[in-house]
Amino acid sequence: MQRRLILRGAGASAAALTAGSSLTACGTGGGGEMELSDEPVELRLTWWGSDTRAELTEQAIAAFEAEHANITVKGEFKDWSGYWDALATTTAADDSPDVLQMDEQYLASYGSRGALLDLGTAGEFLSTDGIEPSVLETGRLDGVQYAMPIGVAVLSCVVNQDLFDQYGVSLPDGNTWTWDDYAALAASLTEASGGAINGSGLSGSDNGSIRYWSRLHGGELFGEDSKVVLDPQTLAAQWEYWLDMIASGACESAAQMVEGMNAGIGGDGMSTGKIAMGFLFNTQITAMREASGANMQLVKMPGSGEVDANYFKPSMYWSVSSQSEHPAEAALFVDFLVNSTAAADIIGTERGIPSNTAALEHITADLAESDRLAVEYMNSVTPGPPAVVTPKGGSELEPILRRNAQQVYFGEAEPLAAAESFVEELQGEIDAAK
Amino acid sequence: MSATTELRALRGRGVTGKPENKAAFLFLLPWFLGLFVITLGPMAASLFLSFTDYNLLQPARFSGLDNFTRVLGDERLHQSLKVTFTYVLVSVPLQLALALGLALLLDRGLRGLAFYRSAFYLPSLIGGSVAIAVLWRTVFGADGLFNQGLALIGIDGPGWISEPGTALGTLIVLNVWTFGSPMVIFLAGLRQIPRMYYEAASVDGASRSRQFRSVTLPLLTPIIFFNLVLQIIHAFQSFTQAFVVSSGTGGPADSTLFYSLYLYQRGFGAFDMGYASALAWLLLLIIGAFTAINFWASKYWVFYDD
Repeated sequence: MQRRLILRGAGASAAALTAGSSLTACGTGGGGEMELSDEPVELRLTWWGSDTRAELTEQAIAAFEAEHANITVKGEFKDWSGYWDALATTTAADDSPDVLQMDEQYLASYGSRGALLDLGTAGEFLSTDGIEPSVLETGRLDGVQYAMPIGVAVLSCVVNQDLFDQYGVSLPDGNTWTWDDYAALAASLTEASGGAINGSGLSGSDNGSIRYWSRLHGGELFGEDSKVVLDPQTLAAQWEYWLDMIASGACESAAQMVEGMNAGIGGDGMSTGKIAMGFLFNTQITAMREASGANMQLVKMPGSGEVDANYFKPSMYWSVSSQSEHPAEAALFVDFLVNSTAAADIIGTERGIPSNTAALEHITADLAESDRLAVEYMNSVTPGPPAVVTPKGGSELEPILRRNAQQVYFGEAEPLAAAESFVEELQGEIDAAK
Repeated sequence: MSATTELRALRGRGVTGKPENKAAFLFLLPWFLGLFVITLGPMAASLFLSFTDYNLLQPARFSGLDNFTRVLGDERLHQSLKVTFTYVLVSVPLQLALALGLALLLDRGLRGLAFYRSAFYLPSLIGGSVAIAVLWRTVFGADGLFNQGLALIGIDGPGWISEPGTALGTLIVLNVWTFGSPMVIFLAGLRQIPRMYYEAASVDGASRSRQFRSVTLPLLTPIIFFNLVLQIIHAFQSFTQAFVVSSGTGGPADSTLFYSLYLYQRGFGAFDMGYASALAWLLLLIIGAFTAINFWASKYWVFYDD
């Protein structure tokens, strides 16, 4: 295995060395005379996600192909971690798919290294007029639009109403509850079930939860100039909160969390009915309802009645590779996916609440129940200022966070020391990428 | 025409420039291509990259020995070395002991030997596969088969894979379980020991255990040595099991962070291919050193009967 790995890396890199110069040239000068071809064109589209997403995307591709007789689109999809490995290697080998699904954590890593097309140069084929300006802004780096926000998501507390009913506990009031209320409620659920379930999942080891917590306490994760401004004291306090939750049995154990994480949606504690409350992005409720078969509901985040700490996160983006030989067609395809009601009808809210306001209005009329819940929840949230985009080199955020949080939860590190090490390591990755 | 006359005819016509030789080179070409294009070429490229700062997306920048000096202060690398050494030093001796024990048992001329040999060999064939790693994750999960077994005798087992204290242990067990290939080699070795040595020993009144210590073990040392070298190299390169069991994280809390998994994370997760290339070469040196030590030490305990 070892040797094969070296080979994969080196093979890709050898190609990249020769491709490097043409790649950067492409990134800056990107198709001044971009035009549609009359010849048959084949585009490659790649994304990460579930089987449901794959089916919907294939349908959207078919609808696009029906409108444009000379363009065929080949879809490729993977799971989250395999996706980024493959994207890094194909891009290095100058073989990147034309259109790719992009995430906030990787946008700067790719965009500022010249791997993505400046969508501004394709304005003739790709309109950004229908997108809320503050959302559109999240796809920009130094004023260049490298990515088209597909949809928006917002953090939510997901509760399993079936379990609440079963153990005779009433649902919380999302407008007023605090983290203390959350802890008390979780403990009462564990108690009412006689230990059969835990009231809450174990949080504090993902990007969303630490951002929310720090904003609640007047801080932020990232600041200007690619600085990690998170106060280690704040993060340590959050971890101490969860340590208390583990100790009291209000939330699942660290081992259960690890197990759930490895299993993914469908095998985690929330889907299997072993925990009654957890934190997810609002649009994930569709997948969660499907996986669990339970009556899941969305409640506002604890503490959101006092501080507007929540934020609209662009759930994902479409980007066009700077290596694409057909940037015009690729842009046209992105335009179809984001701006057309035909695509909106097919995709719904599966990739987030549509960022195109007209498309959102169009589908709101007849939404499935879980989609309706997601949209209603979104409308009920008052967001604070937009979160600062993860800087280049910050794509290691979650691995570093997860590791340090686990060391705290398994009792191998002190919260403050681990929080300081998290900030230091993350800053180190970002500085190394400059 | 028989083979020998054909050979003679070939020799008579000289070696180079003949159609037969061209054919030979043509048939060897795929192998040569493979060697140069997918082995030596990439190895050279990775050696070059190990002296550069290379993020996969932009051209590599020469950075001298930076990657190699970085090794000293990299705490995660040190953790991965600790994990890997523990894995190698614990699992290889256990695996070889088990393989030898079963080989001795099977060598007694059991009925249905062929069946047992195949059955024991099977884990070696599939043990490194993704499917088995997935199975392992399920068997040793909190609600897995293993804990269900323990529950029968009243023990409430932990989530073996998801506790930092036991996660590496399950992977060691997985490696020990793939004892089949050294076992088959041991079996072949046992068959090569001339029966007359045992006959002579029993005439002299040596007990079974004395025969094992004084005849079997010394004559088997070349085979033990061979298996030891091979399995150590194999264990150092372990990747798939930890990658699948921890979903690529090396977790919980870096407790299963194998060296090659860390290398992979740096190269493909953190866009740090220059450093990853340096790590790959360092692993080659580590394995080389271990093998050299093995060969040096073999002078003192390996016995060649010729």
